[in-house]
Amino acid sequence: MFCEKAIELIRELQRMSDGQLPAFNEDGLRQILQEMESLYEQNQSDVNEAKSDGRAELIPSIKLRHCCLLRNQRCVAAYLYDRLLRIRALRWEYGSVLPANVRFHMCAEELQWFSQYKKSLASFMRSLGADGLDITQDMKPPKSLYIEVRCLKDHGEFEIDDGTVILLKKNSQHFLPRWKCEQLIRQGVLEHVMS
Amino acid sequence: MFVTDIRKEFYEVVANQRVALLVASDIDALCACKILQSLFHCDQVQYTLVPVTGWQDLGTAFLEHKEQFRYFVLINCGANVDLLEMLQPDDDSVFFICDTHRPVDVVNVYNDSQIKLLIKQDDDLGVPSYDDIFRDEDDEEGGDSGNESDEGSEPSGKRRRFDEGAVERRIERQRAKREWEARRREILFDYEQYEYHGTSAAMMFFELAWVLTKDTKDMLWWAVIGLTDQWVHDKITHMKYVTDIATMQRHVSRHNHRNEDEENSLSIDCMRISFEYDLRLSLYQHWSLYESICNSSYTSCNFKLWTLNGQKKLQEFLADMGLPLKQVRQKFHSMDMSIKENLREVIEESSNKYGMKDIRIQTFGVHFGYKNRFLANDMVHACAALLESAEKDDGDNFINALDSLSRSNLDRLHSGIDLAKRKLIAVQQTVASCICTNLILSQGPFLYCYLMEGTPDVKLFSKPMALTLLCKYLLRAFVHSTRNKRCKLLPLIMAAPRDVEKGTVIVVGIPPESETSDKKNFFGRAFEKAAESTSSRTLHDHFDTSIIELKTEDRSKFLDALITLLS
Repeated sequence: MFCEKAIELIRELQRMSDGQLPAFNEDGLRQILQEMESLYEQNQSDVNEAKSDGRAELIPSIKLRHCCLLRNQRCVAAYLYDRLLRIRALRWEYGSVLPANVRFHMCAEELQWFSQYKKSLASFMRSLGADGLDITQDMKPPKSLYIEVRCLKDHGEFEIDDGTVILLKKNSQHFLPRWKCEQLIRQGVLEHVMS
Repeated sequence: MFVTDIRKEFYEVVANQRVALLVASDIDALCACKILQSLFHCDQVQYTLVPVTGWQDLGTAFLEHKEQFRYFVLINCGANVDLLEMLQPDDDSVFFICDTHRPVDVVNVYNDSQIKLLIKQDDDLGVPSYDDIFRDEDDEEGGDSGNESDEGSEPSGKRRRFDEGAVERRIERQRAKREWEARRREILFDYEQYEYHGTSAAMMFFELAWVLTKDTKDMLWWAVIGLTDQWVHDKITHMKYVTDIATMQRHVSRHNHRNEDEENSLSIDCMRISFEYDLRLSLYQHWSLYESICNSSYTSCNFKLWTLNGQKKLQEFLADMGLPLKQVRQKFHSMDMSIKENLREVIEESSNKYGMKDIRIQTFGVHFGYKNRFLANDMVHACAALLESAEKDDGDNFINALDSLSRSNLDRLHSGIDLAKRKLIAVQQTVASCICTNLILSQGPFLYCYLMEGTPDVKLFSKPMALTLLCKYLLRAFVHSTRNKRCKLLPLIMAAPRDVEKGTVIVVGIPPESETSDKKNFFGRAFEKAAESTSSRTLHDHFDTSIIELKTEDRSKFLDALITLLS
């Protein structure tokens, strides 16, 4: 049946509903484009035939194929757009450097889009305030400037803003500025201790 | 040197700096650490907390952190040894030591620049005066060299006359020096011979919080737990405990008189600390009364529950109070209200008849929410069980125990209480079996008991605090059960297997049991000397010098050396 491949692409994205980025389905996309091309060509020939020979009974099939083409287009556009939205969310969650496994799932154009997005976000942030403001931190207003964290595994040395170095050893607890720890908390090296 | 104004000389110094906290593994240290952490959170002082279990740990932790930190706070470790000698720090490192171990090493007392002791100077210390121990070498050298330079510049004729005078003076000086040194050795020996404990570290930090007017009920509760830990583990005398309880009672009443009357009563969820004159039965509110009586050392030793006679006496005791067995064996919460109402007075009356005059002890309890009531010694037992749990390693245990002290981690506290119950049962059974099988042998100057490897629950007793607890209960039980008058006054040494693969045992020595004991322990020095003389392979790693590790093969020669040393 027509448009099945397109629905499959959409379902693929729906399966990963928590915002993860699945691998770019290059094959699927190519198949859809091929299908669209064949549909278009069939339509093209049928339209010529209908015009020249006056065969009105071809018109429903032309209409059907046209609808399929539009549907395919819509599905593909939705797929690509949803992926871009997820990639944009990745910037806010992971920072400007994406982990390698995520980058692997993006195609070249998406990577390009990502770097453009990064650039425009950075220039926007620079324009705020006197020397720029990093708005990707502290999505919710923080309760305190410093938090207590516990080290879950040996991570070696860690440098904080004023240059001092802290040795992160397993089972040691530290009281550090919140923004420095968030990255490590996400990575699972530190654990926020709430007393 | 001793810190006189703890706010100016300690807190204001570290308030803008980054501090490393090195905390020993005992409940008092954990409580002190919690209090200090809350103060630091208030003032946003950045710190790093590192748990240490012994001298080696302390050395490693110091080496790892000495590049990054200038200020170190040591809690319950470091006072009783020459710290600068051991750690070899740079000149700008400053150590703030709050330690209950006494005697404080004289070098730590008289060092003015790098060591600051957060200890009250009148805390029963008896430190020898400076001139008795340290002598400026310059005085006599100056005298000598002055003479020598004189001699050098004088012509040879006069030199001979000066020679005789100089030689006499030198002989005189040397004799005085030898006398002084002999007296110094004696003074130091007397000073360092006995090991004991001073005021709780948690109470010191609570006082700091009070001086800063940043004290809260949580901190007060932790201070109470720290003090109770010293009492449960028999580190301080009864007199000192009662005095410190009175101090805490003043703080408790100050915190409690806050607009509480019928109109403005506090919500049930607020934390209330109350003074209790409560029973000396461990964990009785979280257990059944019967189990608690069977497994608390005070009642068990007085009734001699390991004998048949003792069991009968216990039944009589319960009958005398009119408590039905069915009620008494139920969980305490489910006992009839009519029984629970006057329970303490009823038990006190009956126990007076059975010779237990001190079944009630002054302590504090906390109450928050509808279900949560805890006595201070419940918390100590739970926390100690978590701290020395055999299932996890030291670092995790420290974290678990530290967390269980917060009121928001009640599930951890309850798991701690379960572990504590198992530990108390294990202690009781081990005591019973040791007494019944006569495992305690009198070696002359001391009693000795060795736990064999196959003993049930022996893994629990490879940890220092648990073994010390067992040791004290055992000694008390022995004193109650033996008829030999002389044996009642002897101290006890206990050994238990620590690490089967490495073949080591842990050896603990405690002073003799008596009503008026001052809890001073001489085994630290004795163990050191015995180990030296027999060249046994020992590890004096623990902060309490009376707890050491020894290779199993060296056990017998070590003991023989101890016997000769102490008789």
